[in-house]
Amino acid sequence: MSPLQRLANHIQRLREYGDLANIGEIARRYMAMNAFDGVLTIIGVLMGSYSAHVYDSSTIIVTGLSTSIAMGISGLWGAYLTESAERKRDLAELESYTLTDLSQTKIGQASRAAVVIVALVDGFAPFLAALIVLLPFFFTALWVDVTISYYLSLGLALVFLFTLGAFLGRVSQESLIVSGAKMIGAGLMAILASYLLRGADP
Amino acid sequence: MSKVRRLVLDVLKPLEPTIIELAEQLSGLPGVEAVNISIYEIDRRVENAKITIEGDDLNYSEVERIIQENGGTIHSVDEVVAGKIIIDDSATPQDPYQG
Repeated sequence: MSPLQRLANHIQRLREYGDLANIGEIARRYMAMNAFDGVLTIIGVLMGSYSAHVYDSSTIIVTGLSTSIAMGISGLWGAYLTESAERKRDLAELESYTLTDLSQTKIGQASRAAVVIVALVDGFAPFLAALIVLLPFFFTALWVDVTISYYLSLGLALVFLFTLGAFLGRVSQESLIVSGAKMIGAGLMAILASYLLRGADP
Repeated sequence: MSKVRRLVLDVLKPLEPTIIELAEQLSGLPGVEAVNISIYEIDRRVENAKITIEGDDLNYSEVERIIQENGGTIHSVDEVVAGKIIIDDSATPQDPYQG
């Protein structure tokens, strides 16, 4: 069997598992929810750093990356444990009907694949979302003033939130603009809350 | 050795994979010419299916493997036809009155 054919077989099997274990819908939900979490957390980190007068790009990058990695690990671990518990319970319930061991059947394999895929999505979504928002700080040398990086990052965060909202709007077949605006609302609220906190600083 | 030409199986299977997918997989087996799956009982998570398979050389082990891979269990083999042609069971006076 050629490598291309083997790859096609793997894709076909994954598609089959996807249908069986409803992976697409769950992964999509986790992706949106955790990317949203990732962006809002990084907005918090950025606003906190700005309020604390942190003007060193590398400090912000290290803080942001550490936060992103922690969010990634949290997502990966949390989703793996919860999803695995739910899937095992579901399989056990099905086995109580069929009175057979289903672990080696397509249903059992799809269930295990779902746990891994959902955990990866849950881990990488907040990590990548946070990383994208942090990107401008990697290029601070180009525009020298770190304040510009702050503005660019916050702008990028809002654009990202809008895109995420529009994506969810497409899923729910609602207006993309309204759905995107709702997401931006959350981002603006996080920015405003941090800003007010800064004002309260003596 | 003579060839098995028709199998009628009573199978308990989960609702997913659907009988469409199961029929497609069974009909893809070598020696299978046609597959008929009908559901006669349905529960919350499982269903009972009557699976009829016809062909010029059926391999029971392969049929069983596909059904098990899809989470099904063969409860009984209700009819087997083997030989050169397919014949139905003959009417006898002991059969229940069908009028």
